[in-house]
Amino acid sequence: MLTIEGLKKSYAGNDILKGISIDVNKGDVISIIGPSGSGKTTLLRTMTTLEEADGGHITFSGIDKDFEKLTGKEVNTIRRNVGFVFQNYNLFNNKTALQNITEGLIVARKVKKSEAEKIALKALERVGLTDRKNHYPSQLSGGQQQRVGIARAIALNPEVIFFDEPTSALDPELVGEVLKVMQDLASSGTTMVVVTHQMSFARDVSNRVIFMADGHIVEQGAPKAIFEKPSEQRTKKFLTDILANV
Amino acid sequence: MSLNTDFMVKVAQTAIQGVPVTLQIVLVALVISFPIGILFALIRIYRVKVLQRVVQFYVSLVRGTPIIAQILIVYSALPSLLNMIIGRAAFAINPIYYAYIVFTLNAIATLTEVFRSALQTVDKGQMEAGLMVGMQPRQTFWRIILPQALISALPNIANTTLYLIKNSSLAFIMSVKDITAIAKTEAAFNYNFLEAYLVVWVYYLIICYAAEVVFYLLERYFSKYRRPIKKTSGFNWLPFRIKQPKLERKQS
Repeated sequence: MLTIEGLKKSYAGNDILKGISIDVNKGDVISIIGPSGSGKTTLLRTMTTLEEADGGHITFSGIDKDFEKLTGKEVNTIRRNVGFVFQNYNLFNNKTALQNITEGLIVARKVKKSEAEKIALKALERVGLTDRKNHYPSQLSGGQQQRVGIARAIALNPEVIFFDEPTSALDPELVGEVLKVMQDLASSGTTMVVVTHQMSFARDVSNRVIFMADGHIVEQGAPKAIFEKPSEQRTKKFLTDILANV
Repeated sequence: MSLNTDFMVKVAQTAIQGVPVTLQIVLVALVISFPIGILFALIRIYRVKVLQRVVQFYVSLVRGTPIIAQILIVYSALPSLLNMIIGRAAFAINPIYYAYIVFTLNAIATLTEVFRSALQTVDKGQMEAGLMVGMQPRQTFWRIILPQALISALPNIANTTLYLIKNSSLAFIMSVKDITAIAKTEAAFNYNFLEAYLVVWVYYLIICYAAEVVFYLLERYFSKYRRPIKKTSGFNWLPFRIKQPKLERKQS
């Protein structure tokens, strides 16, 4: 459904992504793990055109092109068919929870206001925040904000939702509520690509784990294989380091 | 020394005719400079090639010269310039137009910087979030970024407005009949300078206080989204009240 080939990105002479290829199929829940600085977030941001890629090819919703040759219209098509959940939520601060969700529907999709509100309420219900619909982001806890962020993404019914470390900015006691929402989404068949440090999520919820380091994909496979029998030394080291701290 | 209170009442009655003139200068300057200030701020933020330099130069030119010098230059240069173009009719122009020009040019420079800093306080994640729900950069700017920037700019806009009100008193140099000019004329006729100036003082105090209240109400109304708590601070309704307004902490 979404195929990326040879994706490259560098900042000021530093190669962050050195040719990444990823294949996302419908219903996939892919976890991307790896040490910080390995390019996970940049990968997500370039795949979704938030950052311009320096090279690579994308095949997605009728587009089959090199990244550099994408027209403005095609960039819009890509953006319109993906959802994005940010590490620090990025809810629209001047809009209520409900308006955060309807905004994209009304302005970008030209859905009627009443219709958009219906969709938004349904999305809020899925993340368990119907009673907070008229609250502004500053009046919500981090976990609630992130759940609104997820509701905002699912309301647009995208083909795939990208999560950029959705629980990293949260207080530990709030991580659970967000993970639970993500788990529900995964089990309802939503296609998800998740950059995460939550190894439990990678192991228990996703159907494929990608381990990245230094701008490369070092190893990928079923979570069982990656966590129990990693074939690469780097993966082994990363997993021992990270599991030692749990 | 005693104050001639009868004279003060008389000056107050005549000088009140200057209030609308003062307000006109302030409002015209604000209304025109507002959109231009936003535009200039955007030019600076997005570093539009040549224009950026022009705006930067303009801002330092205006901010680096005393307003009185600007008034004197505009008031001596413009009429003679216009005289060359439209002839004697140039001297029949109401001097208030020159005041509009000077104070608008000034407000543009100040507001450019006010909006520039305000726009930069809005997190760039807001734009990214807009793009990722499929909105165009322009739509995101108008609906998400600008409203937030304007609200954080409000205290500084209030500041600019207050300075504008007070600086507009310099318009008397261009023989604009504002509060100051009227009071000065009255004073000169009767040699009661202190009384006349005290009246001026009170008038500006009242106008500025009213402006402060307006901006306080605007800020309270528009920043409702920033309040986690019902009410964090109040307004000093009495300008010289020593006691600070109470902080009410009510968890909603």
